[in-house]
Amino acid sequence: MKPLPRFQYHAPKTLAEAVQLMDTLDEAKPVIGGTDLVPLLREAACSPSHLVDLNRVAELNYVREQDGFICIGATATHAQVAASELMRRAPAVVDAVSRIGSPQIRNRGSVAGNLCNASPAADSAPPLLVYDAEVKIESIGETAIVPLQELFAGPKINSLEPNELVTEIRFPVPPDSSSSSFMRIARRKAFTLSVVSAAAYVEMDGGVCSEARVAFGSVAETPIRAPEVEELISGKELDDETISVAAEAARRSVAPITDVRGTAEYRRAMCGVLLKRAIKTAVGRVD
Amino acid sequence: MEVSFELNGEPVTVTVEPHVSLLDMLRDEMGVKSVKKGCEQGECGACTLLLDGVPVTSCLVLAPQVEGRHVTTIEGLEKNPLMIDLREAFIENGAVQCGFCTPGMLMSAYVLLRDNPHPSMEEAKRGIEGNICRCTGYTKIIEAILDAAERIAPE
Repeated sequence: MKPLPRFQYHAPKTLAEAVQLMDTLDEAKPVIGGTDLVPLLREAACSPSHLVDLNRVAELNYVREQDGFICIGATATHAQVAASELMRRAPAVVDAVSRIGSPQIRNRGSVAGNLCNASPAADSAPPLLVYDAEVKIESIGETAIVPLQELFAGPKINSLEPNELVTEIRFPVPPDSSSSSFMRIARRKAFTLSVVSAAAYVEMDGGVCSEARVAFGSVAETPIRAPEVEELISGKELDDETISVAAEAARRSVAPITDVRGTAEYRRAMCGVLLKRAIKTAVGRVD
Repeated sequence: MEVSFELNGEPVTVTVEPHVSLLDMLRDEMGVKSVKKGCEQGECGACTLLLDGVPVTSCLVLAPQVEGRHVTTIEGLEKNPLMIDLREAFIENGAVQCGFCTPGMLMSAYVLLRDNPHPSMEEAKRGIEGNICRCTGYTKIIEAILDAAERIAPE
């Protein structure tokens, strides 16, 4: 293997220092777990002059509830999020982050990093999309909160400016009458990219689904929500007929490609299957 | 730059370039060869060690990132009772073929049993899901882990 390219390393201790560094350094990239970035550096897919390590910024390491939101700090690892008591309120997120990569990867990689890498197959994305997640983007003197979907500009392209950092991911505390599920199909159980993935969120009012949100991974240029599918199930009793109609709509709504992991036809068919299973699991999880 | 950390309980300071991985620093600068260099992409688990007590692939950790932290390689667990039982179970169950995956496999197995003394077969499989054995000896490795669990904490 090739050695890593040379870069200067910076380890700020405060967020203020980190945004200052991102602003003043040329060709700087932030790093947290390095589980995506280090392989990219080795392949020479990117060659930053400076790496700004966020791991020592203590104020970015948390999973907490604040002002009606569940908030994930930028350096919170997959393992940390999976183990968080708070995250039991959002089971689809736990489904995803507790199976990403391997134990070693989950101990090191962050949810923020997984999202910023902007892979269409990022497993943390569909569950966070169905929770209407937002990302907090900070640069010197500026803070913006944008819908998660806007972070994804294309396959492996995020919408961040060179001096911007994602410092938090947050979503509204879900109501007690809600639950969710995330499922994926992959060549193996562990340590592999999803061929197709689906997340479903449901809010139940007796036997009726008062609100539904669904999202998919690996079926478009970015992880996507499918509003046309959501409309078909919101306000309905979720019998097999309704769920089948939704699955058919899901198959029509996606635009997958054929690549080494699977064909477009397979992905299209399976996103319907996964959606059915995800909806049924989510409904079954509502108390 | 200088990086100071604790390696297997001993404070150490190493002069190293920031673009060197923890794996390369240990192997090339410090002579710690138990951490194996496999894929260098975090996929094979051969370089697994403990960073502040949790398993990570050291090929994905940059040397300066361990400043002030605790690194444990298999050498640091040589006299650990759990690791001794695991090691013996690996030998007696024929869980070692070429041996390249073994140090990383033992580190993951150690953490599995440390955190969950009575794993199910499924839990044992998940515990080592980040470690690849290309001799395809998983069956014997899982048998060894379950055997070690029985030795340590018989039900």
